Amino acid sequence: MIDVVIGAIVWSNLLVLLALGLTMTYITTGVPNFAQASFAIIGSYIALTLLRLAELHPYLSLPVTFILGGILGLLTYYLALKPLIKRKASIEMLMIATLAWDLILFGITGAYSELLSSITKKTETLFVFTYLDFEFYGLPGRLIVSSLLVLLTILGLYLLLYKTKFGIALRASMENPSLAEAMGINVENTRLFSWFLSGALACMAGSVLPFLQEIVPQTGYFIIVSIFAASIVGGLYHILGALIGGYIIGISESLFTYVLSIFLGPGVLVYSKVISLLMMIVTILIHPKGITGTELWRKVERWLNL
Amino acid sequence: MVELITLILFFFALYTIVSLSLNLEFGYGGIPNFGKALYVLTGAVVVGGILNRLLIWYFGIEGDFISASSIAAYKMTELISQNPLLGLGIFIFCVLLAIVAGAIVGALSILPSAKLKEDYLGVTLLAISEVVYLILFYNTEIVGGYYGVSTPDILAFIPGEYRMYAYTVLGLICAIIVYLFLERLLNSPYGRILRGHRENEDLIKAFGRDVMKLRVKTMAIGSAIAAIAGVIFVFYSASVVVNAFNRVEWTFYPFLIVLLGGKGNNRGVVLGAFIFVLLKMLIDFYKFDIKYLLHLPFEAVWLQYIIFGILALLILCYKPEGILKERPIFTPPIKSRINE
Repeated sequence: MIDVVIGAIVWSNLLVLLALGLTMTYITTGVPNFAQASFAIIGSYIALTLLRLAELHPYLSLPVTFILGGILGLLTYYLALKPLIKRKASIEMLMIATLAWDLILFGITGAYSELLSSITKKTETLFVFTYLDFEFYGLPGRLIVSSLLVLLTILGLYLLLYKTKFGIALRASMENPSLAEAMGINVENTRLFSWFLSGALACMAGSVLPFLQEIVPQTGYFIIVSIFAASIVGGLYHILGALIGGYIIGISESLFTYVLSIFLGPGVLVYSKVISLLMMIVTILIHPKGITGTELWRKVERWLNL
Repeated sequence: MVELITLILFFFALYTIVSLSLNLEFGYGGIPNFGKALYVLTGAVVVGGILNRLLIWYFGIEGDFISASSIAAYKMTELISQNPLLGLGIFIFCVLLAIVAGAIVGALSILPSAKLKEDYLGVTLLAISEVVYLILFYNTEIVGGYYGVSTPDILAFIPGEYRMYAYTVLGLICAIIVYLFLERLLNSPYGRILRGHRENEDLIKAFGRDVMKLRVKTMAIGSAIAAIAGVIFVFYSASVVVNAFNRVEWTFYPFLIVLLGGKGNNRGVVLGAFIFVLLKMLIDFYKFDIKYLLHLPFEAVWLQYIIFGILALLILCYKPEGILKERPIFTPPIKSRINE
C-alpha cells in the first residue's frame, strides 16, 4: 500500500511538471502542444546518454537536462510554430504543426535509441533507472527529488511572477496580450519564456520518469492523455490549474488502478488512462474552463490574495 | 515490380478512402479530427471482434478467443473457396456493419466537445482515440490485442497469385464509390453549410442551423466511411493486429495527405494520397537498401517519420492550400449570373 501511495505522489509530481508546461504554452501561444509527452521522452534519453557516456547519475544531470530541455522548447517554437504564427495560420494548422513536430521528435528518439545501442553495445530501446535510486530514511529518492522539483518550480514561478517587474509584464501579457502590447510590453518574450520553461520542466520530468516505469520510444503515446487530462481538469487558462489537475489526475489514476488490480489482478495499468479520459470528458461537459475557471476558485484566489 | 505497383495501388485506395473522409470533416467542415485512427480501427473491430465471434458461435468452436478464431477463420476460408458468393456476402455484411458502427462511434466521440472550440475538439478526439487504442492493444480478449487474430479470406475462391490483384481492384472500386458519393454529398446544401460552418460558426447559427447537430452528422458520415477502409485492410491482411491502426499511420498521414493535396478539394486529396503512398511505399520497399546505402545505424522507418514530419511542416508553412486549391462553389444561380 505504501508503495502505491509513493508511486501515486511521484507520478502526480511528474504530471504537474508536464502539465505546467502545457498550460503555460497554451496561455501564451494559444495552441495545445501535442509534442509535450515527446519532450519528456527526449529528457529520458538525455539522462540515459549522460549516464552511459559521462557516467553522470540521472539526478545529478538534472541541471543539464533542464537547459537542454529549454533549448528543445525554444526550437519547437522557432521551427514549428513561429513561422506559422507570422503567416497568421489558424489554430487547426498550429495543432497539426505540433503533431508533425511530435512525429519528428518520435522519429529522432527512435533513431537515436538505436544509435545509442550501437555505441554502448547494449539494447537502449527499453530501459529503467530503478536500480540507481537511493533511499533516505526509508523514503525512495524519486519521491524526494520529484517533490523537490515541484516545490522549487512553484517557488521559482511565484517569486518570478509576483515579485519581479518581468513577472508583472509576463502576467499582463498572459491575461490580455493585445492590451499588454499596447502598454509597451514585448509579448514575444513571454512566449519564448514559456516555451523554454515548458521544454525544461518536461525534460526534467522525463529524466525522473525511468525511476518509475520502463521507457521505450513509444512511451510518449502512453502518457499524453494524462498530461492533457491534468491540464484540462485543472483549467487551461490558469498556471495553477496544472498543479491542481496534476495531483487530481495522478492520484486518481494510481489509486483507481490499485483498487482495480485487487479485483482483477495485475495487467490493468492501461485502464488508468480510462479514468483520466473520463475525468477530462466530465470536465469538458460541466465546465470546460476547469477548476481554476470556476467562481469558487476566484473566491479562493481573492482570499489567498494572489 | 508488379507486386510493388499493386501494393501502391492498394494502399492508394485505402488512404484515398480515409483521407476523403477526413477531407469531409476537416477540409470542408473544419473539425480537426485528430482521432481518425479510431474509426479505421472500428472497421477492424467489426471484423475481428464481431464477425469472428459470430463465426465461432456458428461453428460451435470451444477454447480461448484467439485460437478459436484461427479455427473459425480457417473453416470459413475453406467454405468461401467453394462458394464465391459467400465471400462477397460476408464482405458486404461487414461493410454495412462497419458503416453503422463507424457512424455510432463517430457521433458518440464528438458529443462531449461538439459545442466547444477547435482546440478542445481536437484534444478530446485525440484522447478518446488514444485510450481506446491502448485498451484494444493491451487487452487480448477483445480483438486479440498485440497477438492479433486471424480473419477469413473473403477472396479465397481466387487462386493465390491473383488474390492480391483482386483485393486491389476491390479497394479501388470502394474508393471510387466513396469519391462519387462524397462529390455528390458535398455539392448539396449540406456541403455548402459545412463550408460556411468552417468559415464562420456564428453565421450558421444566425441562419438557424444547429452547429452541434451539423458536427455530429458530419462526424458520423466521415467515421462510417473511414470504417470501410478498416474492413478492407483487415480482409486484405487476413488478420487484425491492433498495432497496424496506430495514430501515425491513420491519423497523421491522412492529415498530411489532405494538406498536401489541398483541403476542401476532393480531387486534390486523391492526388495527395497518390503522391504520399508512392513515397511511403518506395521507402518501405527499399528500406534495407536505404539503410545500407546511407550507412544508417538505425531502421529506415524512423527516417520515414522524420521526413514526413518535416514535409508536413513545410507544407503548412509554404503551401497551406495544397497542390490543388479549393474551388469556389458554382451553383446553378451563380453560373447563370456569370454567363449573363
